[in-house]
Amino acid sequence: MLAAEVGGKRRFEVEAETVGSALRSLPIANLVFDERGQLRQLVNVYVDGVDVRELEGMETALTGSEEIRLVAAIAGGSL
Amino acid sequence: MSPTLLVGTRKGLFVLSSDEARQDWKVSDPLLKGWEVFHAVPDSRDGSVYAATNSFVYGATVHRSEDRGETWTRAEELGLPEDTGLTLEKTWHVRPGREGEDGRLWLGGAPGVLFRSDDSGKTWEAVQSLVGHETRDKWNPGAGGMCCHSIQLDPDEPNRMYAAISAAGTFRTEDGGESWEPANTGVAADFFPDNPFPEVGQCVHKLLVHPARPERLWQQNHCGVYRSDDHGRNWERLEGNGLPSGFGFPIMMDPSDPDTAFVIPEEGAENRVTPDARLGVYRTRDGGESWELLEGGLPEPAWVAVLRESSSSDDGGVYFGTQSGSVFASRNGGESWTEAATHLPPILSVEAADWR
Repeated sequence: MLAAEVGGKRRFEVEAETVGSALRSLPIANLVFDERGQLRQLVNVYVDGVDVRELEGMETALTGSEEIRLVAAIAGGSL
Repeated sequence: MSPTLLVGTRKGLFVLSSDEARQDWKVSDPLLKGWEVFHAVPDSRDGSVYAATNSFVYGATVHRSEDRGETWTRAEELGLPEDTGLTLEKTWHVRPGREGEDGRLWLGGAPGVLFRSDDSGKTWEAVQSLVGHETRDKWNPGAGGMCCHSIQLDPDEPNRMYAAISAAGTFRTEDGGESWEPANTGVAADFFPDNPFPEVGQCVHKLLVHPARPERLWQQNHCGVYRSDDHGRNWERLEGNGLPSGFGFPIMMDPSDPDTAFVIPEEGAENRVTPDARLGVYRTRDGGESWELLEGGLPEPAWVAVLRESSSSDDGGVYFGTQSGSVFASRNGGESWTEAATHLPPILSVEAADWR
């Protein structure tokens, strides 16, 4: 769904100091964050394969050429 | 005229197209895949299409297409100010503004909120006069959340419009949205046994203004079917005269006849399905004095539910879609019906569009 919102594009290269600022620079930022700027509950973020919840969340520092992945959480069952 | 139906479903938007006979329908592939399309509506001012879209992962938003669904853009700014203490839960209903109000749109959502856009849906501003209405502490959510699901513009008076919220009731503004007055006199709230006729708190399910006679409003409510002939100041309850039940969600009109309306009753609030396995459209042609069952071509037995936004009408046709994924169309005022589509995802909305 996220790729469909940006014409099928699945990969962006951005320069940012934190995971949060990297994600906020994307054209799908308002799908990933809610109106209070909080990461939506069912969006998982991984930095080089590590869940940012195990790191510093959106404040996780980016120092090199990390790969950030956005993955919708496994959820549902009623839809 | 080439009738087109925008059919919003739990899993995307489908476009149904036919010819004047409305007998054979072509069903598109799904658009807006993955999104729950609570409502999709054409904007006759510029030919664009808007959709109130929701995702359990990515939240509530509005999409716009200028090329009949080939490509879409999404609202850039949509949310509730922090000082309201509210956050946007769902978008429910989009209403394009009037001719001459370029770029203006209205958007209803949950929890009981109304937004206005003046830039063709890029940015939306909450209508604080309704969001912070003085009666808000007396509003309650219905089973679908506290949704603002009906937005109706008076065709003659540019500053008059209506918003209906479940379960807060109907509100009317005479000053373009600066202030809102409850418009629920005579509308029952039987679920408040100590005070069944409160100022607000009514569970309106769908509200319509007749385009040719704008003082006439129709309302399908949790507690009955109603008509008003004075801009919603007073309402008259209309069932008990041919309807098997006063409970239902959709209501349709004949745009050329203010005395004609259509409803699809359900058994009741505790069993929301067509009564006695009879999927029937009930029509009045005398302003609600009497109702007649129209069933030609409709399946039986059928335990079916039709949601509040899942019906529409135009000059030649009446249409509705079911939670079980069928769309039914009539070209003769409901006398006979054709199944225009089947096996769609659960249908959330049906809107007739005149795409030439």
